[in-house]
Amino acid sequence: MNCEVCQLKELEVESFEIREVLRCILHTIVFHRALGLIRPKDIDLELFEITYVQCGEIEVEKKIDEKVDQFISWIEKHPNKKSQICLSFYEVKSKQPSWFTNKIERLYWEQWYINLNVLQPTKAPVGKSHHSKLVMDPGEASEERSSRRTLLEQSLQEVLFQIIKFVNEKKDHVPPINDGVIYCPFEITIPS
Amino acid sequence: MSSSHNRSSNNNNSEGAKAEQIIFEFFAKSLHIILESRTPFMSSRNFSGEQMMCSPSSSSSSSSSVRPRDKWFNLALRECPAALESFDIGRRSTLEPLVVDVVLVVRPLVGDQMNLSGNRELIRNFSGKEYQSSGWNSDQDELGCETKNEQIIERWVVQYDNRKIRESATTSSRRSSSNKLQVMYKKATLLLRSLFVMVRLLPAYKIFRELNSSGQIFKFKLVPRVPSIVEPFTRREEAEMQKFSFTPVETICGRLCLSILYRSLSDVSCEHSTPMSPTFITDYVGSPLADPLKRFPSLPLSYGSPPLLPFQRRHSWSFDRHKASPPSVSCSPSPTRSDSHALVSHPCSRNLPPQPSEMPTGRRKESYAEEYSPYQDFSPPPSPSAPIQAVSRGITRTESAPVRIPAPTFQTKQNIVAPSPHLKLSRHTSLKPVRDFGPGESGSAIDKLYLYGRDDFRKHSGMRLSSNSSPRISFSRSSSRSYQDDVDDPDFPCPFDVEYDDITDRSSRPGSFDHRGDIHEPLESSGSFPKKSQDAAVGALVRMLKKAPPLRQDVSESSIPEICWNNNKPARAQEIAVASITASGIALASKTTADAMEELRTYKEMKNHLLLSQSTSNPSSVTATSPFDA
Repeated sequence: MNCEVCQLKELEVESFEIREVLRCILHTIVFHRALGLIRPKDIDLELFEITYVQCGEIEVEKKIDEKVDQFISWIEKHPNKKSQICLSFYEVKSKQPSWFTNKIERLYWEQWYINLNVLQPTKAPVGKSHHSKLVMDPGEASEERSSRRTLLEQSLQEVLFQIIKFVNEKKDHVPPINDGVIYCPFEITIPS
Repeated sequence: MSSSHNRSSNNNNSEGAKAEQIIFEFFAKSLHIILESRTPFMSSRNFSGEQMMCSPSSSSSSSSSVRPRDKWFNLALRECPAALESFDIGRRSTLEPLVVDVVLVVRPLVGDQMNLSGNRELIRNFSGKEYQSSGWNSDQDELGCETKNEQIIERWVVQYDNRKIRESATTSSRRSSSNKLQVMYKKATLLLRSLFVMVRLLPAYKIFRELNSSGQIFKFKLVPRVPSIVEPFTRREEAEMQKFSFTPVETICGRLCLSILYRSLSDVSCEHSTPMSPTFITDYVGSPLADPLKRFPSLPLSYGSPPLLPFQRRHSWSFDRHKASPPSVSCSPSPTRSDSHALVSHPCSRNLPPQPSEMPTGRRKESYAEEYSPYQDFSPPPSPSAPIQAVSRGITRTESAPVRIPAPTFQTKQNIVAPSPHLKLSRHTSLKPVRDFGPGESGSAIDKLYLYGRDDFRKHSGMRLSSNSSPRISFSRSSSRSYQDDVDDPDFPCPFDVEYDDITDRSSRPGSFDHRGDIHEPLESSGSFPKKSQDAAVGALVRMLKKAPPLRQDVSESSIPEICWNNNKPARAQEIAVASITASGIALASKTTADAMEELRTYKEMKNHLLLSQSTSNPSSVTATSPFDA
């Protein structure tokens, strides 16, 4: 079984937007791979006019929140960096247990790469960075932020559409639905 | 060989039947997903914007309540009767495509040409074109006025393409057929997951959420339809719309296709749809101008809220006939949602004391709306042609204007009869504290709290009066500034001049005053209790008390001032009066005993005098001893 890879469109986010954006994307992907009996939950984003769907499993929510928190901590230590988060789905293949090893092998069948460019909030001009402006009125700053927020919302919607298209176009590699399994096992990898 | 052939054909038949069932259920599930996210709620709306009351909980907690149809494609959805009805009626053959049109219906007011032009502007922004030439259908009544405009903003098409029946091999191994069914089912499941996400990303979902989450009256509504006869779009219309087609799911003998044609709604927002400019309603149904003695009917249940008792009470203004006092608080306009909201929110405002203004009225209204939303009945939303106009947004926010306030547990000794301290105490029971009162809207806020209190009084009236009689004065003096304002207000002579629901027996009320003999007597002697309510009775009593002479004329040190009702006394004097009244109460008791002793002494002297006079006149008379002789 081949491993399908999907590179999602890069999003420019500020640090306070990371949590909502990541949760939205990660939950949307996992929802598409939760093929067991679920009761979906609609979640409205606070920063954007977007409603995304969670599969309703508490373990999924915990796992995602935990990884998002780790990523935010990492971002705080490595500001102004482009980063990539990888969401991988795998099947568990247990090898023949031997005397010495009892390995459980993971067979990845799908990987999603979420690309983020975390921006630092614009401050008063100090250095020679070309991102800062020499003079910035509060009104201009709010307008700029508002337009950037609108663009981000549109980009986020595009990413969600991208997920839907990918899920629709490629279905053959998805493992069959197993009884009792609510969602396909996954792992989230953040940069270290 | 024939047997194996028969077995094979039987298997094919069963597989075919299973495939057909999967296809049938796929249609049903698709329709359910679409209608669930496009059908506004039938009953009252969810104002808080939260997850709908009936949204399904986590599967782990509700596995026991899984319905059979939830198991199809492993997707448990909330109830949508519209979907079931549409599908049961419309679906007869899987070969027929299932079309769901989501229609935006704009309803201008009949004869309102200004609104029509406004609607045209709304529609122009919506579609980018003149509404008359962009697929808008308009109905006209016999007067020639356009009553509604409709436009299809989404068209979902679910169809089963069975052309492959002839192409694919009819005989296949059992294993591959079974495997194909599993693969088909898996892919259909994935497609439906995508559909579930997709319906929430499209522009029409924003309209759906806005209609459901806001209590405002919009000029448009969203109407999903499953037409039996589908009118195809013109080329122009199709060019204006965007299309998305889901990847078809291959089946044993065909393929399942799902596509959507939708319009972008980039120019449409709910701000455009905010209804009419705020105006004040003076002749709302149930107002004193309309029918002073109208009785409120019971209100329907709100969506998702627990059932409530019918709310029936008379208007406070029915007692205005006995008083000449003008309303101390201006009647604020009713909320937008319904007439009945206005009825309950504002009838008592006239008779209630003014509250100190601290916060803007709109905000206070919002706090009340939030507090009372879980408990309230909602009247059906009025039709757009209703005469009520929208009020300010702050007031409009109270779509959940309290029609009925539940009666939480009542602690008799805390709640005070006087409205303002009662209000303050009420806050500590089951209500969240209301932060501030505005002058304009204070009436309705007080109404709400007072309604709250009235329910409590309904339960504990007899005891309450007795327990509140003595602490009433001291409490009101010491704690409530607002009560002070009540007293100082010349337009409000008596804090009891408020509506009291006539639930207490008149016979019980005099008895409740037994603890205070001085009050009991006036109560009995006042044969002029208004028969209409206990409120007026209490008011009359208090008036009597005001006019009553002081108990002791010869009190020297602490001259009993008039009881608190004197409006002209400053606050400090009032407090002093409280202390003096309290002290004089004790003094009265002591002086009563002293008086009695004095009288006794007087009698003794008189007796001794008489005896002496008798003895001088008749020395042989025997002096009678008295146990009182010292």
